[in-house]
Amino acid sequence: MFDLPEIPYLLTLLIAIPLIGAITTLFMGGEKQKHARMTSIAFSAVTLVLAVYLMLSNDYGAYAESHTWIDTAGLKMSYMLAVDGLSILMVFLTALLLLVVSVFTFEQHDKPNYFFALLLAMEVGLMGVYLAADYFLFYIMWEVVLIPMYFMISWFGGPRRHYAAIKFFIYTHVASLVMLIGIFAIVFQAAAGGVADFSFAAVLAGSAAFSGVFQSLAFGLLFFGFAVKMPIVPFHTWLPDAHTEAPTAGSVLLAAVMLKMGSYGIIRVCLEVLPDGAVSWQAIMVVVALVAIVYGAYACIAQNDLKKMVAFSSVSHMGMVLLGIACLSEIGVMFAIFQMFAHGLITAVLFMTCGLAHDLYDTREIPLLGGLAAKTPIYATFMMFGFLASLGLPGLVGFWGEFGVIFGFYEYALSINMIWLIVFCLLSLLLTAGYYLWAIQRSMFGRLTTKLSDKVMSRIRDINKAEGIAMGIMCLMIAVFGLWPDLALSIISPYSSALIGVI
Amino acid sequence: MMFIEYTWLVPLIPAICFLIVGFFGNMFDKRHGGGFLAIAGVAVSCVLSVLISAEFFMSSAYVDVGYVAKSFTWFAFPGGFDINIGYYVDTLSCLMMMFASFISMLILIYSLGYMSEEGKRKQRYFAEVALFVTGMLGLAVSNNFLMMFIFWEVMGLCSYLLIGFWSFSHPEGDDASDNAASAAKKAFLVTRLGDVSLMAGLFILLFAFKSLDYTVVFDAASIAAVDHNLIVLASLLIFGGAIGKSAQFPLLDWLPDAMAGPTTVSALIHAATMVKAGVYLVARCFPIFTEASGVMLFVAVIGGFTAFFAATMAMNNMNIKKVLAYSTLSQLGYMFLALGAGGYMIAIGMESGNTALIAAGSVGYVAGCLHMVNHAFFKALLFLGSGSVIHSTGTEDMREMGGLESKMKVTSITMLIGSLSIAGFPFFAGFWSKDLILEQVLHAGDYGAAGWVFIVLWLLAVVTAFMTAFYMFRMWYMTFRGPMHKKSEHSHGESPRSMTIPLMVLSVFAFGFGFVLFFGFDSLLSIQIIGGQFRMGGMESGGAHYLVEFFTNVWTYVTIALVLLAIYLAKNMYELGKIDPARFNGDGESWLYKALTERWWFPQLYDQLSWKLGYGVARGVEFIDSNIIDGSVNGLSNAVAGSGELVSKAQTGDVNNYASAVIGGLIVLFVAVVALFVFMGGL
Repeated sequence: MFDLPEIPYLLTLLIAIPLIGAITTLFMGGEKQKHARMTSIAFSAVTLVLAVYLMLSNDYGAYAESHTWIDTAGLKMSYMLAVDGLSILMVFLTALLLLVVSVFTFEQHDKPNYFFALLLAMEVGLMGVYLAADYFLFYIMWEVVLIPMYFMISWFGGPRRHYAAIKFFIYTHVASLVMLIGIFAIVFQAAAGGVADFSFAAVLAGSAAFSGVFQSLAFGLLFFGFAVKMPIVPFHTWLPDAHTEAPTAGSVLLAAVMLKMGSYGIIRVCLEVLPDGAVSWQAIMVVVALVAIVYGAYACIAQNDLKKMVAFSSVSHMGMVLLGIACLSEIGVMFAIFQMFAHGLITAVLFMTCGLAHDLYDTREIPLLGGLAAKTPIYATFMMFGFLASLGLPGLVGFWGEFGVIFGFYEYALSINMIWLIVFCLLSLLLTAGYYLWAIQRSMFGRLTTKLSDKVMSRIRDINKAEGIAMGIMCLMIAVFGLWPDLALSIISPYSSALIGVI
Repeated sequence: MMFIEYTWLVPLIPAICFLIVGFFGNMFDKRHGGGFLAIAGVAVSCVLSVLISAEFFMSSAYVDVGYVAKSFTWFAFPGGFDINIGYYVDTLSCLMMMFASFISMLILIYSLGYMSEEGKRKQRYFAEVALFVTGMLGLAVSNNFLMMFIFWEVMGLCSYLLIGFWSFSHPEGDDASDNAASAAKKAFLVTRLGDVSLMAGLFILLFAFKSLDYTVVFDAASIAAVDHNLIVLASLLIFGGAIGKSAQFPLLDWLPDAMAGPTTVSALIHAATMVKAGVYLVARCFPIFTEASGVMLFVAVIGGFTAFFAATMAMNNMNIKKVLAYSTLSQLGYMFLALGAGGYMIAIGMESGNTALIAAGSVGYVAGCLHMVNHAFFKALLFLGSGSVIHSTGTEDMREMGGLESKMKVTSITMLIGSLSIAGFPFFAGFWSKDLILEQVLHAGDYGAAGWVFIVLWLLAVVTAFMTAFYMFRMWYMTFRGPMHKKSEHSHGESPRSMTIPLMVLSVFAFGFGFVLFFGFDSLLSIQIIGGQFRMGGMESGGAHYLVEFFTNVWTYVTIALVLLAIYLAKNMYELGKIDPARFNGDGESWLYKALTERWWFPQLYDQLSWKLGYGVARGVEFIDSNIIDGSVNGLSNAVAGSGELVSKAQTGDVNNYASAVIGGLIVLFVAVVALFVFMGGL
């Protein structure tokens, strides 16, 4: 966008600053632990400034870094970083959310130094995944994300935290092993007996010689690995448990940026390297995506826990992302990426509000709540805003993601003469509005609940300043990108048009 | 071009007021929560709309092309689809923005008095109303379907928020809160059903025309280049949106429930905004709707049936606001009936190249639009009047009122004017437009293979006119005449000035607005085809011929006679008590009476349907999710944990055992890989 002077090692800094921050906060034990939050805010603020600087600069290619790491006769692995139209929004989102959740987490009295160290460690991994340009580094960073999240859930989580943490860890770890096999397959196949270079560029260059059958097989392995992360029905059951038990800050990061690793991987690896595989899997992807969209929406209706409902809504909305990808068209991919970004912004607000329900009312069970807008009007306003954004109200960011994806899918459906398929998308729009409005009706409106104990009722407070600022920033972003979608679309479009040129 | 250039300010000013009032209303205006700023903003928009309209009607653009449009690229979809933002001024949008802003302004002034006891909540009220007005004005000046859709949804949101204004801590207690919350949700979801249909229509148009600009979609050359069937499908889907927004059959059930909101909100929804958007949409889409006479026939049938169906439910309702709500549904039905009949004739005229028929059909368009404006005036008047009554008596049940005329002079007289107008009493505004509609429908019966349908619709419409006069005067007599009941005895008397002055202003329009028909208004609002292109306005025909047409037509006298008969009946039943209403309904035991009070069992049907299709399926999905999918995940992990113990016993230390295990494993793997290859190869 602007011709900004280049900062040397900017991408490395994006990983290194949170890393230094994580180590610093980790050692702030004892008396100093009350400063952990401010430290986290400071480090993540610096990272955010750099990420914004990167996003606004003109030439992303200039920032690529490459340093050889392991160079033997048969293997070559490098520390390579790069950024482009696909990853920059995710980098921005990660940096933004880390600052926002640090501001938001006002009342972390239990071992705050560990808590914020884990948060920053997650940022290290996430930045690494989105910036890596080498499959080995990519895989390492992928696993780096997993570990802090595991501890986040099992140390700071809810009553069933151990079950949820183990389930999360094993499920996603198994998936990433399958993905690793896929990575090995494409790397060695691309090397064709020569030096197995793990860099993205080398694999991409070698992929021209991949046979159709190999592409289909490798696509299957990698797709499974990424689909679990996204998550796609039927591999989604770790998600509601992990979300329900994770602390609010963890849920926000998990839903807003960690799930995007899956869809990011599908586009970055599956689509870029295995375009023929993508074509042969297209029908399956479409069906799976449609099932996920409708299934997730229906599952939301049946939930009684606010956070679990929002978790299932992620299943539905990430299905929308997959649907956009499955169109394999420029509009579809472009708006799938936009929807990833939009969902990240919106879901952060959703998890912050629904997570707060536990702090404010001691429960997130919808049947126990009711009429609470009278007690906590500002909280209810934020919840309403989040729900409206998520149900795709035009003028907010969620609308453009859905509109674009469904339009892309309409184009696809028309091309295969099955225009009626968009009925499923339209049904999901209706169901989405249904479960959100029903939930807010039961929890915030109507008669004031009598099911909460007097003790809880007497100490109900509205949100405090820190929480208000955090959610306010996200709402502002939702509105800005909703009114001016081109802000993000103009970044995405060079990438998506180049990608579709390949398919 | 002086004012037209600033058309974008018309929706923007209320939008800015929304932000300022929404965030800071209580800070700078403690007494009214920012109400004065909202009024000022809407007033500025109103003045600006009048100036724009005046300029437009005097400009050469009006005579030459029929519109002034300005378009900027907002962003581009890949593949050459441009999404634009801009304004579009023609006679229809001038009309919409003038009456919407004017009536909204009056309603806002009235709200100062009506909402005076709401305390801090007034800030929210005035902010949301300002946003509502933004939605309507934005809809009127948008230059493309997508922008229109955004404002359309903004209105849906505002209606949700305002119907649910009392959805927590309702002044009348918990049940009322529950009721408001559920009514608001219902309004949003039912209209959302229509919105989704409209959105599907937009996808089709966007893909077919590569643009959603009115200037492109309504261009005869580009219409001709698009597959006819796609246009028909898109038209029907777009009309689905209008059905939802304007509460036509079968999506009509949300509007009566929406009475749970403040009365001023009802006035806003019924008169100035929201439900008028559907009528506007159909009028706006005439160029594509008239591509097929079947589409227009469908519009007319839905409208005609709703007009009748909704009127039946108003006949025995005891709630003053609900009677008005049903009458809105019924009157909206009239508007669609008029547009459908006119469009049907235009469509047939276009197929056969009969220009006289097209000109005759455009009268239907005039009738529909005129009725829309007339209805806006008299319905705003009636709702605000009923609000005044409710404010004074503290009840909505007409059985507890009666004899209020002596206590509330201004309200009773203004409401009488409104009732006469909606009933179609000669020379009142409603009379002209309603008669024009009836005449047009009968006329449409002469053409095409489906002409007989219009004869049936005409009969329904005439019966509806009778019913309308009856239930309106039933309402008026029950409220203002007859013996006093307990609530009217304790009423506070006449409402404050801020409430009665808007009533008086509105009653002037509710009486006199129909006369504009004779001063060239029909030519301002007409629709015609010049050189294959649709144009709004510009046909110079004067209008005096209507007088001759009305009073040489025998059916006009029949309708007038029916209206007078209905008023006479109502007077005898509810003022003088000479005829006991119980004679007709078997003391409230007849099946018809029950059907009407139960709204023909429509709400139950909806509840059952949405419960079964929504929650029922959801429970099934939840069962599958937690038992089958998650169950197999947990089962698998248990099996792995269990087999781990088993396998540990296999650590025999015997190399032969290991070797055979390795070979066995390899064989299994090989078979699996081959099977996978075959499967994928065949894909």
